[in-house]
Amino acid sequence: MGISKLKLSLIIFGVLAFFGILALYIYWNPSDSNIFPKCPFYSATGIYCPGCGSQRAAHQVLNGHIIEGIRHNYLIALLALVLLYQAFTYIMNDLLNKNIPNLLHRSKVTFGILITIMLFWILRNINLFPFTELAP
Amino acid sequence: MENLKPKRPDSYLALSIISTILCCLPIGIVSIIYATKVNSNYEDGNYDEAVRASKNAKTWGLVSIGIGVLFYLGFFLLYGAILMAALSDGNF
Repeated sequence: MGISKLKLSLIIFGVLAFFGILALYIYWNPSDSNIFPKCPFYSATGIYCPGCGSQRAAHQVLNGHIIEGIRHNYLIALLALVLLYQAFTYIMNDLLNKNIPNLLHRSKVTFGILITIMLFWILRNINLFPFTELAP
Repeated sequence: MENLKPKRPDSYLALSIISTILCCLPIGIVSIIYATKVNSNYEDGNYDEAVRASKNAKTWGLVSIGIGVLFYLGFFLLYGAILMAALSDGNF
């Protein structure tokens, strides 16, 4: 067939790496083991970035503690929403031939997401009560 | 005239959010900015600009993910090497 050996081995490597990393994040908690790298941005600047806490969140969500996971990084919930919505419009429009307008194609929605992430980034670095909830 | 509207270029919004969240690198933000530009340019009728923004969103998203993956690989390789060295010294 048309798949070259290189491509095939890359795919096999990718699948193996995916399951390896999945197992790593299921069985080890990044909060109490030091085998996981710290966020390079946080290490360099001491400022949380929008992605900080996503490894801890991944561990909790993979173990079924969804709420606890989301509290480490709320953007995980945003990502899940966007991906589910993309899947929904794909199924409706491409597979079932409906014609549902995709809200993510509106510049206001994308702009809103950008603003949300920037605000999240700034607010989670404020060390005062309601905002400390946003910190990883 | 409306039939002349070219196909909407992909804004790579999901890719850019993934690269922002999972790779701990603010480069992903650049990708989201371009994703926003794809939609606004398309709505304004600047189709060439939209296509260019789409390419930029893809490139920056992939660069961000690439740097993240390299960083993690490097970390795990280094950690593995240190662990091996400690094990062979017998003081672990």
